[in-house]
Amino acid sequence: MTILIIGSIRPEYVNPRNLDYINYYLENGVKDTGAINLVASIYLDYRAYDTLIETVVLFMAVIGVTFILSKG
Amino acid sequence: MTPINISLLLFMIGLYGVISKNNLIKKIIGLAIINASVVLFFIAIGYREGGLAPIMSHSETVDSANQIFVNPIPQALMLTAIVVSISLTAVALALVVKIYSKYKTLDVQKLYEE
Amino acid sequence: MKNSKIIKTLAQKLLPFIFLFGFYLTFHGHLSPGGGFQGGVVIATAIILLTLSYGIKETENRFKEKQLRVLEKFAILAFIFLGLLGIFFGYPFLKNFLPLGQRGCIASAGLMIPLNLVISIKVAAGMTGIFYALVKYRGEI
Repeated sequence: MTILIIGSIRPEYVNPRNLDYINYYLENGVKDTGAINLVASIYLDYRAYDTLIETVVLFMAVIGVTFILSKG
Repeated sequence: MTPINISLLLFMIGLYGVISKNNLIKKIIGLAIINASVVLFFIAIGYREGGLAPIMSHSETVDSANQIFVNPIPQALMLTAIVVSISLTAVALALVVKIYSKYKTLDVQKLYEE
Repeated sequence: MKNSKIIKTLAQKLLPFIFLFGFYLTFHGHLSPGGGFQGGVVIATAIILLTLSYGIKETENRFKEKQLRVLEKFAILAFIFLGLLGIFFGYPFLKNFLPLGQRGCIASAGLMIPLNLVISIKVAAGMTGIFYALVKYRGEI
């Protein structure tokens, strides 16, 4: 049973390239946090809450695997 | 072939793998390919023409007042998406190990008759 | 693959360098691409290499599973504790209150270095725990 999926429809996406909220992070990122890596300053200083919940998601994966593969 | 087109092609390849392969491990590989294509799509959206990586070097060769950098926000969001992909693959593989130890087969057509 | 002298010797000699590379990625997370998640996965790769070359019994004598689970839970609690430390000094939860140093040095960007360290310990212990659970399964229903 071979399904031929039509993957040849590829439209050309038009993105707005100059958004205003990027300029705040690019200008004030180094001054506010003191880190050169702007990606690290986003996920560790401006949005540190999401990283906290992220570690809990990984912890739940460990709990799931350990519970499924336990004996008894 | 721009990266956005390639990400759609990868999504279709992964979807074909999930739908029409009869082995359970190949379906899980298709899921991982779909996750990778979504990560590629989000990062490819944030590209600006002639931009560098968003790391302000502490040497004086980059004039950071009027140099264009790419969008750093989708890259920070995709770290979370990669961790979600890892945990999905791990739990799915644990379930497949339990299924094999009970039914001794990994074929979907034979598992339908159980 | 278990009784090969070359692989055993090579894995044992390469192990501290893989750890060093993982800690380098973690501690330079605010200066170059890297950070907690990437460094933690590299450290977990070192323990997986040891398991593939020596077998699960000898590796478990060195890196016991009970200690890995305790380390992982302490890492999450340390993350929350570092966030609450700001409240004792009058700042909001998880605010960058340690002094920002000089730009470009390792000792800069206040609270990001301890957070990177804690995240890398958590990810390394988590990945190794998942790997141990998948390898030690013996077919019980």
